[in-house]
Amino acid sequence: MTLVHNWHLGRRMEYPYFESRPKHQFAAVFNINRCIACQTCTMACKSAWTYNKGQEYMWWNNVETKPYGGYPQSWDVKTLKLIDNGENTWYTDEKDEKLSPYGVYEGDTIFEAAAKKNINQWAVGYIPEDKEWRAPNFGEDVAKSNKPDEYSSLPEHSRWFFYIQRLCNHCTYPGCLAACPRKAIYKRKEDGIVLIDQKRCRGYRKCVEQCPYKKPMYRGLTRVSEKCIACYPRIEGRDPLTKGRPMETRCMAACVGQIRLQGFLDDNPKNPVTWLIKHDKLALPLYPQFGTEPNIYYIPPRWAPRSYLRQMFGPGVDEAIDKFMVPSRERLAVLSLFRMTQTIIFEYKIEEGPKVFETTIHGKKFELYNDTVIGLGEDGQEVVRTTVEEPVYIRDPKHYNSI
Amino acid sequence: MKKTYSFLKRYGVALLSSAFLSTALFAADEAPGVKGASDEEFIPAKEVLTIKYVDVGKPYHLDVETLHGFFNDAKGVTVPLQKQDKAFPNGGGSVNNAEVKAIHDGLTVYFKVSWSDPSKNARAIAVQEFRDAVALMFPLGAVEITPAEHFSPRMGDREKPTNLWHWKADWEADLLVKGELEDVEAQYPNMHDDFNLNPYSAYYHRELITSVEVLSGGRAANNLLSQPWRGRSVEDLNAEGFGTLTTQDHQDVNGCSKYDDGVWTVIFYRSLITNDPHDVQFVPGGTSYFNMAVWNGGEQDRNGQKNISIQWHPVTLERVAWQ
Ligand code: SF4
Ligand code: SF4
Repeated sequence: MTLVHNWHLGRRMEYPYFESRPKHQFAAVFNINRCIACQTCTMACKSAWTYNKGQEYMWWNNVETKPYGGYPQSWDVKTLKLIDNGENTWYTDEKDEKLSPYGVYEGDTIFEAAAKKNINQWAVGYIPEDKEWRAPNFGEDVAKSNKPDEYSSLPEHSRWFFYIQRLCNHCTYPGCLAACPRKAIYKRKEDGIVLIDQKRCRGYRKCVEQCPYKKPMYRGLTRVSEKCIACYPRIEGRDPLTKGRPMETRCMAACVGQIRLQGFLDDNPKNPVTWLIKHDKLALPLYPQFGTEPNIYYIPPRWAPRSYLRQMFGPGVDEAIDKFMVPSRERLAVLSLFRMTQTIIFEYKIEEGPKVFETTIHGKKFELYNDTVIGLGEDGQEVVRTTVEEPVYIRDPKHYNSI
Repeated sequence: MKKTYSFLKRYGVALLSSAFLSTALFAADEAPGVKGASDEEFIPAKEVLTIKYVDVGKPYHLDVETLHGFFNDAKGVTVPLQKQDKAFPNGGGSVNNAEVKAIHDGLTVYFKVSWSDPSKNARAIAVQEFRDAVALMFPLGAVEITPAEHFSPRMGDREKPTNLWHWKADWEADLLVKGELEDVEAQYPNMHDDFNLNPYSAYYHRELITSVEVLSGGRAANNLLSQPWRGRSVEDLNAEGFGTLTTQDHQDVNGCSKYDDGVWTVIFYRSLITNDPHDVQFVPGGTSYFNMAVWNGGEQDRNGQKNISIQWHPVTLERVAWQ
């Protein structure tokens, strides 16, 4: 084991390989508040990569309902139990902007739990059986009541659920990669995408077992495992549509609810993804306590119980929700970039516009400026331009009745 | 026969030496999670397995029923097996020993391995299913294994390559199927699929399958595990330590098997000499070593989770009758 720094946990942790961060890291921000579970993303992925034989049960991208949904069933609860040592708490009194922005996680990661339990493999995990993968929408739209013994009454129904959009997190410290005894899984230096070498894989399913997010999937037809490939031909700019510029994945580009923004996590504070994740801390990692430093980040839903959300996204939840409910001027501008283009945005610029509205939200003053936000591509050229206020088009009276 | 033997004599030695030279196969890493071996692992077992010369002739069927009688006079060795506890992931421990017998007829060498396993696991299609398997391992080239000359009995070592013959119960089952690969329907008979890679299916769509190779994953990557029409139940591999197992480009080993009353019997066979520098070569009158491992699919054994022998076992090939 070597010691590596995991900034989600705010500390060093044990991992079988040295810390080796890519040039920039494939990452995305999902705004849970806006997802309508239309599964367009799911189908975009399916129709691109997994419509073939032996892949029927594979949903590299899936959207499940929390708290009851899960694909494979109860994947998160089962993994949480495996790392539970009774003291999976966070120390949040001291934070370091760079090294421990959410405080320090004091529990065990999947790697540390394995070492403690002396199970002689790299991480704790389990292999979900075929029946657990069989019903990806199990529990969809099933609400949880905060008062299970009472009927809900107006004015407020105290019931909740929310959707969580999941794909491989292309983790910085992948559990799948650590688990593979053959080193058939590798993380690309150029963009941090994690891939299974289809020639070296021997179908041992150690990755299926030790990925805490259950994203590698075994294909009975070829007797080897497959996983999300982050649409790497698009990421490499090989789709003619973006003229050689890196292009967002299928699931991102298809998002109807406009909840997704994909890019690369790097050191540029004006990179929209980096800004939302590292600077504004509006978007949070999913189950950071697993210890893999996952790279899909979520803006948590406003309405779900905070304790549940803290378990899922760590201690940054309260701050993120407060920020989301009363967005700052810059935050609103950056959020306006979501789904405005499928060319990956490397940097944003804001041109200030007039103030158009002001109000008070939860006792806090809120001002809306109609700023223009400009997205620049990898080559520094403008790839998109939009305004905070969605433009309104009024139909010419002579077309009122035409279709 | 005589002609073949002079061929062996003339080229066998040259092949052996070329096998010995071809060590630069893989970049083996000292993997973390690997414990050092104890010294006794470098002392080969005392008991020698004699590969008995038997005139097998031309068996009509290469199956266990036909072949097993030829092993009657061969003296077997019992190989003790134990849990693999050196390299992550550790595992195994459900099979305690296996019996190995071997014969040759001047052309082909046959190894018969039997062990008891209460459950037959001959399929690996569902995510939670693992196959029964057995492997023989031989050092590549002419080596002398002594405590002074470390040669790891656990998959060899850097610059100490091994040749492995890996029999798989599901590969054997594949051979009985039209198209030579049990398809997903074998596990899920009522499944429906639109895009079928199996050319015997009503839904086979040749143009689609061949135009988008990436969709067939391991098949497009030429992974032997994913290929139909392998025509064999034994995989021919090389390794130079943990994690380096690599399928050979040239497959030379065959096998047959029988599962009866809780006992697996597997016969491996291959010609004594091949022209692949990555293969072990057998010269009548010569000596070598072997080691082995057994995987119990019912216990989720696979990769390092296996029942292993931690000692090399010496083998001697009897001379052929006319030598
Ligand atoms: S989410 Fe799972 S499959 Fe993806 S990189 Fe992380 S550990 Fe590997
Ligand atoms: S396409 Fe977007 S809105 Fe629809 S389910 Fe996927 S993430 Fe949610």
